[in-house]
Amino acid sequence: MMRKLIFLLVFGVSVLHAHFAYAAVTGEIVGQGGQKFPIAVSPLKILSAVSSDVARLSTGIADAMVHDLELSGWFKVLDRSAYIEDAQKTGITLGAFDFKDWSTIGAEGLVKGGFSVQGEDITVELRLFDVYQNKERIGKRYTGRVRDFRRIAHKFVDEIINQFTGIPGVFNTRIAYVSNSGGRFKEIHVSHLDGSEKFQVTDNHTINLSPTWSPDGRSILYSSFKERGQTLYLFELFSGKEIKFTPRGAAKYLSGKLSPDGQTVVATLETAGNSNLYLLDRSGNVIRRLTEDTGIEVSPSWSPDGKQIVFVSDRSGSPQLYILDLSGGKTRRLSYSGNYNTSPEWSPKGDRIVYTGRVGSRFAIFSISVEGGEPRKLTTESADSEDPTWSPDGRFIAFSSNRAGKYHLYVMQASGENQRRLTGSGGDDTKPSWSPRLD
Amino acid sequence: MKIHSKVAGSLMLMSLALVGQACAPSATSKPTSSLPPPPAADSSRSAGGGEGQRGLSKESTTGKSSLDDLKSGKAPVTPASSPLKDIFFDFDRYDLSADARALLRANADWLKTNSAVRVEIEGHCDERGTSEYNLALGAKRAQAAREYLATLGVASERLSTTSFGEEIPLCKEANESCWKQNRRARFVITPSRPAS
Repeated sequence: MMRKLIFLLVFGVSVLHAHFAYAAVTGEIVGQGGQKFPIAVSPLKILSAVSSDVARLSTGIADAMVHDLELSGWFKVLDRSAYIEDAQKTGITLGAFDFKDWSTIGAEGLVKGGFSVQGEDITVELRLFDVYQNKERIGKRYTGRVRDFRRIAHKFVDEIINQFTGIPGVFNTRIAYVSNSGGRFKEIHVSHLDGSEKFQVTDNHTINLSPTWSPDGRSILYSSFKERGQTLYLFELFSGKEIKFTPRGAAKYLSGKLSPDGQTVVATLETAGNSNLYLLDRSGNVIRRLTEDTGIEVSPSWSPDGKQIVFVSDRSGSPQLYILDLSGGKTRRLSYSGNYNTSPEWSPKGDRIVYTGRVGSRFAIFSISVEGGEPRKLTTESADSEDPTWSPDGRFIAFSSNRAGKYHLYVMQASGENQRRLTGSGGDDTKPSWSPRLD
Repeated sequence: MKIHSKVAGSLMLMSLALVGQACAPSATSKPTSSLPPPPAADSSRSAGGGEGQRGLSKESTTGKSSLDDLKSGKAPVTPASSPLKDIFFDFDRYDLSADARALLRANADWLKTNSAVRVEIEGHCDERGTSEYNLALGAKRAQAAREYLATLGVASERLSTTSFGEEIPLCKEANESCWKQNRRARFVITPSRPAS
């Protein structure tokens, strides 16, 4: 039986009202210990439904939005128990409810909405109101399958973030990661950012590692010991098709990442103890060798323009970050602090690189400018934090940490603020890779 | 974080310049302790070696790889009776200690006596650090053992290498006494093939 991910679809989105006031940016800095924007997310009004499960949807859609807003770190979502109005007895349009019910409890923003269910299909209307100015800021109608109701919620939160910041949110994305699910094997998993829509990519009862996304978000490249000799596999999520990268000679293929244009792969190949970077085509054939070193050269990550690669080398005597310019072939050392810096990933914005660094006996997440200089430490070393990965907008970082005992996945802002746990499976979840934006 | 909603009287607000604290990692130094390899350093030649001297029995001496052990749910332990002993490494190192060299000399003696035997050398790491780097480090450890055996006269065609990085630990607790058992190279006798 072929494993594949069922392609989920939100059928349509329509703008209900066109008064998109431009999101003016005030120039104020978001800093630590400051105030978050107070927002209320009302349960949704049941407009018409014949299904018995509508109460679950009313709060379920609201809960999905609350999760995203809190994960962003920019909002304080007011507790539902404090809400005065009864969502089922008031309207969802301007004038059909009393803003005082919301200003009284301290809300400055308000999300209201309603939905109707017909068979398998759901139509959801969502609106963002400005409680202070008594105005509507966004109004959208979504249609889709009932089972995809969370995706509708994520899409609307992406709109809210866009209204506030001028850049859409990233809540309609997935994370690929390695999990032992509490057992002895390591398998590749994919789930939505909120932990829903879990999908197990591999189930071969061996060791599977280093998942990375294709730039179109439709495939996962990973390495596996499932056949003799470690090599890479490119798994197409929606068809279940898989391409094996057939090793050249005795080479082991340790990890790889598709280029931003999706046409090539940069991979680490190990032969006779030496690991080096190679450029491969999408079938795993070698186009050319990129490094000529007798040491360790691993964990390549592309710059967003595909012109440079950041990677780890121990050529100086300890693992450090280096940047290779593909056109000129020149390499420069990036990291100088500490004696163990690994697993770099280049920001989608292009300006910074995030990585794992050793501090004393612990590992922490750092980011450093692509120009070099002083790194920023983003996690504390009371536990280990490893394997950072950027959100597609470059404003968030996901990583793996053992701060709660086992390794779980966490998300934080790129500044290191608002660290929140994503997964809580019975096992160790490691090596996250954040998908591109998905439709 | 300060939001201008009240000042601007609007939801339209908020710039999100993110400020992180600039903080260099405190300087760290490589662990310098040269750890003695865990148990059973020397007793091998009589026990395991004797068994393998003549008429190598495939059933008894063909080893299971660590991946085979993982699949069957067994700990990847090198049996005390094995003629080929594990060697051990310091954190983030793949150079051979004096103890490791002594063990490799014993392994080489046995391999020269049992010239039909082929061996896969597995490189392993402790759990610390990142998995891709540890896969490369394990490959270096296995290769270091292979090269030293070759200088001692073991034909390198008889020796293959593989790395399991930090993925198949022998000991699973998070402390140094456990980690040092995991930073090792293992020598697994592979089914012999027709002599080349």
